[in-house]
Amino acid sequence: MSTATAAQGADHEERDITVRGTRIRMLTAGSPSGAPLLYLHGSGDLGTWQPALAELAQTHRVYRPDHPGFGASDDKDGIDSVHDLAFFYLDLLDEIEAPEAVVVGSSLGGWIAADLATIEPRRVSRLALVDACGVRADDVATPDMFVHSPVELAALIYNDRDLKAAAVRRARAMEHDPGLFERYLRNQIATAHLGWNPYLHDPKLPTRLHRIIAPTLIMWGAEDHLLPVGYARRWAELLPKAETAIIDDAGHLPLVERPAAALDILRTFLGTGARP
Amino acid sequence: MRFFGFHLMPYPYLPESHLSSRESSWVTLSNANFDPKLGHELYQRYLRELVYYDQMGFDGICVNEHHQTAYGLMPSPNVTAALLVPQTTGKIAVLGNAIPLRDHPMRVAEEIAMLDVISGGRIISGFVRGIGAEYHTFSMDPTSSRERFYEAHDLIIRSWTEPGPFEWYGKHYKLRNVNPWPRPLQQPHPPIWSPSQGSVETVDWAAARRYTYVQTYSDIDTVKRAFDGYREAARRHGYTAPPDQLGWSIPVYVAETDEQARREAAVHLGFLFNALMRMPKDVFFPAGYLTLTSATRVLAAKRGLGTSSMDPEQLMDRGYALAGSPETVRQRLTEFQRELGFGTFSGIFQFGSLGHAEFLRSVTLFAEQVMPALRPLAAAGDAGDAAPSVPG
Repeated sequence: MSTATAAQGADHEERDITVRGTRIRMLTAGSPSGAPLLYLHGSGDLGTWQPALAELAQTHRVYRPDHPGFGASDDKDGIDSVHDLAFFYLDLLDEIEAPEAVVVGSSLGGWIAADLATIEPRRVSRLALVDACGVRADDVATPDMFVHSPVELAALIYNDRDLKAAAVRRARAMEHDPGLFERYLRNQIATAHLGWNPYLHDPKLPTRLHRIIAPTLIMWGAEDHLLPVGYARRWAELLPKAETAIIDDAGHLPLVERPAAALDILRTFLGTGARP
Repeated sequence: MRFFGFHLMPYPYLPESHLSSRESSWVTLSNANFDPKLGHELYQRYLRELVYYDQMGFDGICVNEHHQTAYGLMPSPNVTAALLVPQTTGKIAVLGNAIPLRDHPMRVAEEIAMLDVISGGRIISGFVRGIGAEYHTFSMDPTSSRERFYEAHDLIIRSWTEPGPFEWYGKHYKLRNVNPWPRPLQQPHPPIWSPSQGSVETVDWAAARRYTYVQTYSDIDTVKRAFDGYREAARRHGYTAPPDQLGWSIPVYVAETDEQARREAAVHLGFLFNALMRMPKDVFFPAGYLTLTSATRVLAAKRGLGTSSMDPEQLMDRGYALAGSPETVRQRLTEFQRELGFGTFSGIFQFGSLGHAEFLRSVTLFAEQVMPALRPLAAAGDAGDAAPSVPG
């Protein structure tokens, strides 16, 4: 069931959909007949449409939901772990009548994507993990995102000096924008509930990753200071058949920070050719 | 009015490099800074100071629970209380056990029951959530803190009041045999106190159960708002709150003259509020520790307890602390009592880096020259409407 509640955007639509009784906000783009691509966002993503998704919508039907408990989606009782969220997204695939989908997950979204692919491996045609949390690398030191202020987090997320400065400015401005600040806090609270302890990973996930059958891409920003590139190596150890792409000069969000380079890699991986 | 003496057991021997920094005094301040030999002396002294309250005629003494901090050296309030049971005759208020931080709430039910039985029914049982920093200390999900608090409380009270064994099947605790030995001496159970900084939810929760609500570390406007809120909630729950059920906890320092008292208190208030309480906002209020509405307000505020520097003079002027000659403290407390309507007063006479001699003098002056005059105020049995809800 889906009801459009928002006006047609230039390159995407916004609507509410209901998944087994929970209302969530969904951004979609691309031809309805295109192969579905589910993009699972990261914890700090406040719901703005990313230009990179519009690019992917040239070849796919892109679905970009706000996770339950995040952004403009409702809370859902009983979601206490990423594993619970993974089941929610399998229900969502049923709801949008997608027997299978490309699943791209950034950061927290990558963790959900990997977990989902271990539960119903055949629902995932291709899996892309972008600076994904979800596993632990004993030898890689990571900052604790939960002790950092919005301004400090903004500085940790971006590598490019101008983008970092802009993100820090936005984080400062949030103090004067209660609506936006509340949305940020709600995402932080939802993330804390999922990943406070164990810190942003599931110790059992590595025992299930062998179930993934989809071709898998591990994409990482070489200069990620929130989840350092050592984590790309950890994922690669755990998913020996996956390909790894490290994007130079990018921080935690390569699709935002170096979209052209990241999209080239993603398009090649999806078999939809390099950038025209 | 009834009087309690509170002790924070601070660790004052912090290096200048820490004091002059902006580093947190909680969670991550290295325990290499704790000197066990100095610690031994401190504990001996602090325990004597707590006993001194009892000797000077206070109705009771208060101990509390905090973790991984120089702010206070009482990770286990029940251990502190146990040491004091044989050395005192008055009440011992444990303010409180941070029940959501315990893996097993029945451990608290057992320990408090032990203390109550051994002390002959002198225990007051405070329940708290623990401050936000302590969710970092134990890496415990702060978003479940409130739920765990309520459920642990319900479980403990039922275990004290309903003969066991029974099964508890809750969201956070699932126990096949609840049947604590011993059970408390006081019936139906020891008095419960609820210390808070004034959250609307906690005020209502305490009022609904007729628990003594204790306001801590607040300016006078906040104290008033919380107490008015409590009285209003009590009316909503069908009764008039007696003054006893309203407690005010505040650092107090008495010396011979106002000038001396304020000058000496300022140093230690500065140490307490600006060094010992210091921590980053996101450590003080981790995601989900506060409700979304409170968090939006607290985290957007430029200034706040522990997260910005506070001027000791202002702290005294705004009612965060009380310092003066016996005459002044007596006068101000009388005014505050009339304005706020509380019947339970918990003075924190040991705070910051206050020395032993200063502590003894301050407590002696208070006990001899302040307390007697205030005793008749809000005597037990007074109706709670002694405090009209008019701007003071």
